Formats: sequence, C-alpha cells, structure tokens
Amino acid sequence: MSPLLKLDHLRKSFGERCLLDLDGLKIEVGHAYAVTGDNGAGKTTLLRILAGIEPGEIAGFEFRGLPLTHGRVPEHARHDIVYVHQHPYLFHTSVAHNIGYGLAARGIDAAARGPLVEEAIAWAGVDHLRGVAPAKLSGGEKQRVALARARVLKPHLFLLDEPTANLDGEARGQAIALIRQLVGDNGSLLIACHDRELIELPGMRRFHLAGGKLVET
Amino acid sequence: MSLLDATGAAFRLLFGGDAELWGIVFISLKVALLGLAIAALPGILAGYLLAMKRFRGRRALVVLTQSLIAFPTVVVGLVLYMLLSRQGPFGSLALLFTQNAMILGQAILVFPILVAYTLSAVQGADSRAHETAVSLGAGPLRAALTTLNETRFAVLAGVINGFGRAISEVGCALMIGGNIAGLTRNITTAIALETSKGEFAQGIALGAVLVVLAFGVNLVMAMLQGEGGMK
Repeated sequence: MSPLLKLDHLRKSFGERCLLDLDGLKIEVGHAYAVTGDNGAGKTTLLRILAGIEPGEIAGFEFRGLPLTHGRVPEHARHDIVYVHQHPYLFHTSVAHNIGYGLAARGIDAAARGPLVEEAIAWAGVDHLRGVAPAKLSGGEKQRVALARARVLKPHLFLLDEPTANLDGEARGQAIALIRQLVGDNGSLLIACHDRELIELPGMRRFHLAGGKLVET
Repeated sequence: MSLLDATGAAFRLLFGGDAELWGIVFISLKVALLGLAIAALPGILAGYLLAMKRFRGRRALVVLTQSLIAFPTVVVGLVLYMLLSRQGPFGSLALLFTQNAMILGQAILVFPILVAYTLSAVQGADSRAHETAVSLGAGPLRAALTTLNETRFAVLAGVINGFGRAISEVGCALMIGGNIAGLTRNITTAIALETSKGEFAQGIALGAVLVVLAFGVNLVMAMLQGEGGMK
C-alpha cells in the first residue's frame, strides 16, 4: 500500500537561518506519529507547511498516491488534511457553528450537517457547552471543540500541534482520551508533542526533530 | 432676532413638524446613506486585500489611503465639479447639481475611511482566524467573509465613522450639489446658507439635528466597541 503522505525533501528557511531540512517523510495510512523535539526545533512549522497554511520548499511530495509539484500544499489536498492549533481558535459564533464550519465549507447543506454536528458534539462531550460563547470556554474545552471540529470532517490526516500543552488535570485527561480514540479508530495523525502519555499511546510511532532533521526513533 | 428668540424659533420648527426642515434632513440622510452603501463593498474589500496581500506598491497605497481620510472635502468637491461640469469629461452625464453627484462625492469621501478601518481591523485580527478557516477547507471568499465576521465590530466602526463624515461634511455637497432648495439642500449646506442670511432659527434647528445624529453615531460606536471588547 502506498503511503498516505510522502515527501523526498522539505526545506524551510527564515532569512539565513535554515529551520527545517528534512531528507524525507513518510506517513502510513492508519498510523499515528508523535513528533518530538525541543522548543523552536520546527515542529509547529512542519505541521503548518503540511497543512498548507505556510509555504515551504517541498520536493517529491505525494499525498494519497497523487504527486504534487508545488511550494505549498494545494487546496484539494488541504481538504483531506486538518490542522489543529496548539491554542485552537474558535470563531465568535457558537460551538455548533464552529464544529459545522468545515462541513459548510465543503458544501454540505444545513440539514445534512445537523446530525454530523450532533454526533461530534456528543463524541467530544461538549453538549453542555452549546449555549456558551466560544470565547468564554476554557483551554481544555476549546481543545475538545477543535478536535470535534476536525474529526467531523473525517480527514485522511490530522495534524495536532501540542494538543495537551498548557492543559492539566481533567482537561488534559479529556483531550488525551479523545486523541486515544482517534488513534484507536485507525486515524492517521501527526502530533507535535512533549506529553509522555501521548507519545506512549499504543501504536504511536515516533519522530524526533533536531537540527532541522527528522529521525524516526 | 436675539439668540434666545432664534433658539425658541428653532425648537418650534423642530417640533412643529416643519416640512422644509425635515425635507432637508431627509435629503441629508438619503445622500449620506446611499453614498455609504455604494462605498461599503469596494471599501471593505479593498481594506481586506490591503491587509492580506503583499505586493509592490502596497505600502504606498496604505499611506495614500490614510492621507485621503483627512483630505479636504472642498478639494474633492472641486475636482468632482471640474469633472462633472458641462466642459468637463463627464459633463454629458448632467450630474452636476443633482443628488446623484452628491451621493458620488460622499461615496468618494467615505471610501478611504472604510478601507483604513478594515485594513486596521484585519491586520489587528488574530491570524489564527484566517488560518483556521483555511485549514478547515474554506476557499478564499469564505475565509475572507469569516475573517471579516470575526472583526465585525472594528469594520462596523469604520462604516459608522464613514456615515459620520458623510452626514457632516459641507464642502463637497455645496460645490457639486449647488444647495438647491428641495433637491440638493442638505443639513450642512442649509446651515451655511441660513447663517449667511442672518436667519439663525433654521440653522440652529438643523444644527441640533446634526448634533443628535453625531452623538447617536458615537453612541453606537461606543456600544459596538464595548461589545467587541467583551469578546
């Protein structure tokens, strides 16, 4: 089976400073990968480039077997890849609207969106938050809504940026439980993280990013 | 007539339902609101694109926009007068001294305000708003509308400020409207005329309406900013 995502080379520089100089990356379908590395190693930048929201020099890029020659991941591939910020941004509308946003962007009408959004709300355990303004949610609650918003799209690849950073106690446990489900459902995930509990989830493969190079450990 | 007598007469005009006076107020509102409506879409779009896109000459356009906010209204009126006068390149349109000319003038005056407010709003917005929209699959139009919706209070402040400029300017309206009674005489041109004739009552009454409108606009702006600040 061909990999979900493959690239031969990825380079990203900021001025004279080369942050990323990857000699290859391969993500298999149905596998979860943790990307570890020091702060500033380029984990977030790598995810942002793969999400198509930041340009990078990429060679030999293939997604779902389709070769793409470009500097930025194109729109049709971005529909299959969802990036979740370390501190997720929720639109100033409602929890349900946030979760249904990507479905609406894909042209799914309101009647068809309803049940999918309801299922996602139930999955993330945020039903009691539907009347709360998104800006008033706690960090953990925002993370759960963001995970539901990503999952409802059934993307081929989740890119999660430090999903448990700045969360502790119950909020962290709830976020890990949801990610554990994504991994258990044979989702393909690339997770930038430091959290040992996430790194040691069953089936998790590991990359380490240092000096601009990515090494599978 | 003493100032006190004139003020008393002004209130009688205001509350006595004087048709001429309220006709002038109606013309002012109509011209300002239509000018604003015409400028709104291109102004907000231009502001958004200036905030989001990087291209040669962008900085010059930003400086130009900010300079145009303070551009003297009478100069805009002068330029439009020359363009629309019988000898001008657009003289055949017969727009000079019509409400349409005034609407055009006010749209031009309001445009840079809308551009500058939208530019500032979008530049000041959380960059994750646009990124999140794109990451969730939004195309350029949906991502733009989402970003503008996230900054709606700041963008609306520009719309309200633009209305304030349109309703209160006198130079452009006077030059290209011609202050024709019942047609192009609005609040500000009427005040200027009545005062020059020594007839203060109508001027005071119209001035009071203008002040109430200005306070109202600022009140709405303060409420919107308060609402936005609560996010």
